[in-house]
Amino acid sequence: MGAASGPALDYTLECAGCHRADGAGTPGSVPALRDSVARFLAVPGGREYLARVPGVAQAPLDDAALAAVLGWLLVEFDRAHVPAGFVAYTAEEVGRLRKQPLLDVEAVRKLLVEAWER
Amino acid sequence: MSQRQWIDLLAERGARSLARRTSRRSLLARLGAAIVGATAFPLLPVARAAEGDGRLPPPSDDGLNAELGDPTHCTYWRHCAIDGFLCACCGGSQNACPPGTEMSPVTWIGTCRHPGDGKDYIISYNDCCGQALCMRCRCTRTEGEKPVYYTSKNNDLLWCFGTKSRAVHCSVAVVLGVATKR
Repeated sequence: MGAASGPALDYTLECAGCHRADGAGTPGSVPALRDSVARFLAVPGGREYLARVPGVAQAPLDDAALAAVLGWLLVEFDRAHVPAGFVAYTAEEVGRLRKQPLLDVEAVRKLLVEAWER
Repeated sequence: MSQRQWIDLLAERGARSLARRTSRRSLLARLGAAIVGATAFPLLPVARAAEGDGRLPPPSDDGLNAELGDPTHCTYWRHCAIDGFLCACCGGSQNACPPGTEMSPVTWIGTCRHPGDGKDYIISYNDCCGQALCMRCRCTRTEGEKPVYYTSKNNDLLWCFGTKSRAVHCSVAVVLGVATKR
């Protein structure tokens, strides 16, 4: 049984209930993070999407803690897809992005996934 | 002919017609096919996919060396934010579903302070799904719970997501770890 603090603890408390401790998600209910989440970084709009998606934007964490969780989970669950030269999210960036709601999350997600599959 | 006689006649004709058209053997054959068919269903690809890696690893309380209290009581320390029937009263335990039910992989997570060591443990409240409500040991506690419009931290919801059945039976409180610092 692990002890958790910092972004790992925040992930467990605020995200893992749905995305699961190992980031596997639940097919049909909750998208997986494992082996795919960092692919968003490779397509235009993807970096912004990750901070605007409701589960992230609405997490009860301040901007700095949220930026840390994003940076942590990208490496924890999908290190292989993190682009070379990736610049970590800052609190300022996350704070700005999370205030721009995604009005049709599924449609935006579909476009981004199609973009990386091309 | 009265209405009652007319109904009798209709029923008798129906029964005789059915007897003429079918044999006892055909009933057995159909029944047999249905039983075999039913057992074949779990082998279909969809059912197998649903049973794939969507399962939680078996919960482990290793390292929780100071267990205290009675999991069949609402006052038990892990139940600080549970809402439902306690699985320990329903043929399961505080961290295992009763036989015949499936633990929901989607859940909500909070912390409860252990009265013995004073540490905050990370607790996952998983519903056990697939049977009717257990109706024993109803318990509602709300430490750290948020209103229903904040769904990810609300325990009034039924949390049978990603399970074959949406019927909730009881709830467990699995220790995931220790929250050392927030």
